[in-house]
Amino acid sequence: MFSKVLSYGLKGIEGYPIDVETDVSNGLPHFEIVGLADTAIKEAKERVRNAIKNSGLNYPIKKITINLAPADVKKEGALYDLAIAVAILACDEENEIKHEKDYVYIGELSFDGSIKKVKGVLPLLISARKLGYKKFIIPAENSHEASFISGVEIYSAGNLVEVFKFLKGEEHLPLVETCLFEDVVKKSAGGLDFSNVKGQAMAKRALEIAAAGGHNLLMIGPPGSGKSMLAKCFPTILPELTFDEALEVTKVHSVAGELDGKMGIVSMRPFRSPHHTATTVALTGGGAHSKPGEISLADHGVLFLDEFPEYTRHTIETLRQPLEDGVITVARSNATIVYPANFTLIASMNPCPCGNYGSKDKECRCSPAQISKYLSKLSGPIMDRIDIHIEVENVTYDQLKSDNHEESSQEIKKRVDKAREIQLNRFAKSNNYCNAKMNVAQTRKFCKLSGDCENLMRNAFEKLHLSARAHDRILKVARTIADLEGCENIEPAHIAEAISYRTLDRKYWQ
Amino acid sequence: MNDLKCLIIFLSQFEITNAKIGQILDGIGEIKSISAFKKSKLVKNGILTGEMFKKMEDMADESLVRAYYLNLQNRGINIVTKFEENYPERLFDLDDAPYILYYMGDINLANQPSLAVVGSRKPTAYGRVVTERFVRDVAASGVVIISGLAFGIDAIAHKTCLEVGGKTIAVLGGGFDHIYPQEHHNLAMEIAEKGLIISEFRPKKTATKYSFPQRNRIIAGLSDGVLITEAGLKSGTIHTKEFALEYGKNIYAVPGNIDNINSELTNEIIKTCQAECVTKSDDVLKDYHISYASADKKEQISMFDASDDERCMINLLKNGMKSIDDLTKECNLSINVFNTCLTTLEIRGIIKRMPGGYVALS
Repeated sequence: MFSKVLSYGLKGIEGYPIDVETDVSNGLPHFEIVGLADTAIKEAKERVRNAIKNSGLNYPIKKITINLAPADVKKEGALYDLAIAVAILACDEENEIKHEKDYVYIGELSFDGSIKKVKGVLPLLISARKLGYKKFIIPAENSHEASFISGVEIYSAGNLVEVFKFLKGEEHLPLVETCLFEDVVKKSAGGLDFSNVKGQAMAKRALEIAAAGGHNLLMIGPPGSGKSMLAKCFPTILPELTFDEALEVTKVHSVAGELDGKMGIVSMRPFRSPHHTATTVALTGGGAHSKPGEISLADHGVLFLDEFPEYTRHTIETLRQPLEDGVITVARSNATIVYPANFTLIASMNPCPCGNYGSKDKECRCSPAQISKYLSKLSGPIMDRIDIHIEVENVTYDQLKSDNHEESSQEIKKRVDKAREIQLNRFAKSNNYCNAKMNVAQTRKFCKLSGDCENLMRNAFEKLHLSARAHDRILKVARTIADLEGCENIEPAHIAEAISYRTLDRKYWQ
Repeated sequence: MNDLKCLIIFLSQFEITNAKIGQILDGIGEIKSISAFKKSKLVKNGILTGEMFKKMEDMADESLVRAYYLNLQNRGINIVTKFEENYPERLFDLDDAPYILYYMGDINLANQPSLAVVGSRKPTAYGRVVTERFVRDVAASGVVIISGLAFGIDAIAHKTCLEVGGKTIAVLGGGFDHIYPQEHHNLAMEIAEKGLIISEFRPKKTATKYSFPQRNRIIAGLSDGVLITEAGLKSGTIHTKEFALEYGKNIYAVPGNIDNINSELTNEIIKTCQAECVTKSDDVLKDYHISYASADKKEQISMFDASDDERCMINLLKNGMKSIDDLTKECNLSINVFNTCLTTLEIRGIIKRMPGGYVALS
């Protein structure tokens, strides 16, 4: 007897259909799976047999062969269990299963017949919907994640018997109800808000500009000056995720198995802060089971690298391509996978290994050679991709205790949203969406300088010894400052302000 | 090149002290040349050990020395010996004046009125501002600035001097092949072009812990006065000060905060009257019989055509350096206007930004 049902596999964050073909024939009892299956799939035979048996269903004592087609693609994971079980059951005519070919089956089986949740349901569903598949049976635990997909029938099943009865037409499976994204989006979870950060006016302004223009930012300051706190508040002033963006982010998180089961969708911009001992692969993604890395999990959000120079040089350098292209291409011998990596980089560092260089009241114990070695860990190409660098100073006790009104994230966000809107209009015809990502031609077109601005720029370069690479960075940041003010043209004041956010170009660092 | 110069160049290639070179020169006899050295009875007289003499004799070849000299000259490195006319006069005061000086640039600078500016390798923001202020005025008045090319005060002194178009001399603690610190290689080349770099060490010699104090005696010896802007008690500046005292040079020290360990040496030598306490560049320049109109500088700034916001910022900074955060609050300006003012004033050279997020009047 022969049957064929559909399942779905994942390559990176894109899915592709897999035919599960089953042949049950007379012969010595035997179970074989072919089609470049990994160990997790090879072991499916034990799970499937026990699940069928323990559900009180009839397991054929015959020779069973399963083929996962296409046969030349390596397949991983336990998500084909359900499809295999259904295919075996469908081979037995006595079971009277009908319409089994109409559905796409996704799910891992447990020995007692229950269906467990799997990773990557959302990207699978999105890819399958694109190819025109309409009906799905997925694990009940994954139903939150699937509830944002509209236009298809998604059934959630808790165990194998439910699926069996559903296919026989005896019982119904619950349809996953479609949720509205707007209902899920919650306002920023309390606690983190710029109104709780005392002082640091300069840093806050710089972060506002970074948020408005999508600029990468580097903070330099002594330990305990609140760099991490500032960075953590940064997502609260970023514009809300749109539904499409949220789906993209959720896809990556789903594949990585990092999705919150109850929320089902990532509704807030991700904030990722991998420790500096993170390996390069942990950051970029890849590895034996090709998982997305931290930079992809930070897609459409913030990647915060605390103690920036403490990362290995190699790890820092791998950020070059993603910072430029917004994607990371992970090439391995068996596959080349492209993960999204469209993040804003917020990095922080001490000015020297001991952290007190430049401090007024604490002595720095580092030798000058140590300091320059520490700073030189940040290569030119990486610095080229960071538009804003600022110094963050220690907060004094008085500042900490002051009752001064500090602006809330909500107020800052309003200005950021406005500036973003201007940029979206400006770049409507291109695939760019923010000032930071302007290419050379766009920079020339949108950052025209008046005579006054040119003069100021020339003076600044001569007097402040700015390095040449600073030029375009300053232009882009000035453009964002002008947008924040709603100005059509860049004015000298904007340029002057932009220059003040280039501290590492100053000679005292060189 | 005469035979004597040739001999001295030859002798200076070995690890022997200046005193020893003196003994050798005395022990050689009337005719001082490499061939005379070979025939001399230095071992018999107990000046050199047999082993050492053998080693030197093996290499004693006049043509080799001449080729070596030519090679150095092609690289722009010149040599002056103690017996030549252009040897810096002031160095004769030293008990162990070097027999040989390697130099790049204009050796005549070494005879002009000069001020050594030395101090901490890791100055505070205060030390930076003060050094720049003094050097700018003194260098602009035509006094040559001498320092040691080290990190910190030394480099600031050299750079500021070059910025105002003054003349500066860098005295190296090692040979020309090993300019220390490496990071200042470009600075050294600029000084070679516009000023003078000298070293008593053969080019191949690397700087050692002991060569720096030795270098400091040249700095003290070459200068008319020594200005210490900021230095702690453990600083190498202490050697320069000792040598300057020994040679009877004027020592000037800028007082600092008594709580700051980086000002301990300067405060100490002021207290014990080893140094003259100076607070403005005229205090130094009066000994050079020059006056620099620095007194009304603060007044001049307020006259500067500045906007109200800028003027407010300048007035606040007159009380000394401030952190950006404090200044923002005291100015009561929105942060974007504040940053704009900051950059404008900085470009005009009125204020200066310091590491750590501080601002000061320059």
